[in-house]
Amino acid sequence: MHLVCQISDRSPMIELNVNGKVRDYDVDPSMPLLWFLRDVANLTGTKYGCGIALCGACTVHLDGQAVRSCVTPVAAAVGRKVTTVEGVVDDGIGRAVQAAWQKLDVVQCGYCQSGQIMSAAALLRTNTQPSDAAIDAAMSGNVCRCAAYVRIRAAIHEAAATLGG
Amino acid sequence: MRIRRVALTALCALSVAGAAFVTYALLTVGDGRESNAPQPAVAGAPASITDPLMRGEYLARAADCIACHTIPGQMPFSGGVAFRMPFGTIYSSNITADRETGIGAWNDDEFVRALHAGVGRSGEPLYPAFPYTSYTALSRNDILAIKAYLFSVPVAHVPAKQNKLAFPFNQRWGLSLWNALFLRKERFRSVQGKSDAWNRGAYLATALGHCNECHTPRNRFYALEHDREFAGEVLQGWKAYNITSDETYGVGSWTGQQLSDYLGKGHASGRGTASGPMGEVVENSLQYLTQDDIKALVTYLRDVKPQIGERGSELNDRPPRALASTADTPGADEMGHGDLGLQLFERGCAGCHLWNGGGRQNEAARLLGAPAVNDPDADNLTQVVLQGSHLQTAHNEGFMPSFGGAYSDAELAALGNFVLEHFGGKQGKLTAEVVAKRRTP
Repeated sequence: MHLVCQISDRSPMIELNVNGKVRDYDVDPSMPLLWFLRDVANLTGTKYGCGIALCGACTVHLDGQAVRSCVTPVAAAVGRKVTTVEGVVDDGIGRAVQAAWQKLDVVQCGYCQSGQIMSAAALLRTNTQPSDAAIDAAMSGNVCRCAAYVRIRAAIHEAAATLGG
Repeated sequence: MRIRRVALTALCALSVAGAAFVTYALLTVGDGRESNAPQPAVAGAPASITDPLMRGEYLARAADCIACHTIPGQMPFSGGVAFRMPFGTIYSSNITADRETGIGAWNDDEFVRALHAGVGRSGEPLYPAFPYTSYTALSRNDILAIKAYLFSVPVAHVPAKQNKLAFPFNQRWGLSLWNALFLRKERFRSVQGKSDAWNRGAYLATALGHCNECHTPRNRFYALEHDREFAGEVLQGWKAYNITSDETYGVGSWTGQQLSDYLGKGHASGRGTASGPMGEVVENSLQYLTQDDIKALVTYLRDVKPQIGERGSELNDRPPRALASTADTPGADEMGHGDLGLQLFERGCAGCHLWNGGGRQNEAARLLGAPAVNDPDADNLTQVVLQGSHLQTAHNEGFMPSFGGAYSDAELAALGNFVLEHFGGKQGKLTAEVVAKRRTP
């Protein structure tokens, strides 16, 4: 009986592109993308912070744009490229951000940092030489309890410099 | 001589008092023709709903009884909600079927009289915070269906709270005079030559849904100015916008889709999200109406006589500063000037609303084209920032935290003026004093 129920209840498979890998997943389309990434795709680099899109810890990219995965249903990612902190280093901007983060030793406790890196990479995609004010404006939705904001800003300048030069 | 004058004065006083009493009695008893009066041709619930209790539930939702008669978290319809008026505070009553504290002992005629004439069970005039000036147009059948539904919900034993009204507003007999001046006890009459949808929309908007009670300006006696129907009014700190067909100041420029989305789902693409009292109307009432009834409302609203609004409050959905911004950053003109409003928006708001007002992956967070960011008075903008906003419907859920406790009056004024300029192209008039007043409506 249980088996019959399982088969009859099964929703159709959902095709998702995560970090360039296209696969079918057996998930509820209303499941938060963050939940899917961590528990189904086993990509635990993306963190759960507040759950209501207020802290930025869960930031990932959908087609290169920064989104909060905690409030994004899986259904919203269908047909779009999902990029997480594990996959962001697959392009030049992501690599530059990672290198700058390592060089300036930005991370303190680290919990918010995957979100910070994703927002920084999204910013550098649209603004290759951001000013301090532009960085503050763009990174405002990513909260850091260790207050590493100054080093984050410096690292974004560093990444922009390597990309520009 | 002196005796004659005293007698004459006494006689005068007596006859005035007598006339007043007769008028009072006549006015409060109702129109006396409740059962035989002709019924409106329009019924409030769709014909597809046949079960009487389900019709009653549909009607009670369309009339949004629950909004005024329920404190959030308490038993539905158990009353006690405070209405802060310019002349004092009135509390709504328990309308569950409890015999002692609710309406359990009311008979049909008494209930119909309450809605048609604004009179309580023992003949006392009710305060017009209860929208009997709109409900008077309802059919007896619809009213009794609502009564049957109310008698079917769980009974709550909740005694009435005492109204806090100053003299002379605490004198209920005075309401008889108010009724004589402002209450027209007439049932809804279909307008010949208008479509069925129009008439249905008119019945839903003016009688059942009582949109007038918030959206129509009131005169100095607190009565509706019917010749300015739906021109907009401020109530309890929130602005009920001009919803006439005026293209500049009303909703004339909204598409049919935008109007029906706003009414049925609480959000219209490019026209903002319902918050505060209108958010409650969508949550409690409008989201449950059938598609046909939403369309009927739109048909009627489209035809409401246009009313001019205040110059400078024209909707601008292409404000230059927002258009000069990207999702991530404001335009070069604005950046780095140290504007307090901009700094606060950056810290608290940009993360969700984005600098171009597009809203981060959330339609409800889209700001461009929203009336709230185009109103130079910033009534609703201030309230949303102070109180936050929460809209839950079957279609979506929108949530914004409250910032009232986080920022000072001066900061909130600066933030509000920045938002008006950036997202509405408007010169805001907010000051710390205005924000302080709006904290306690």
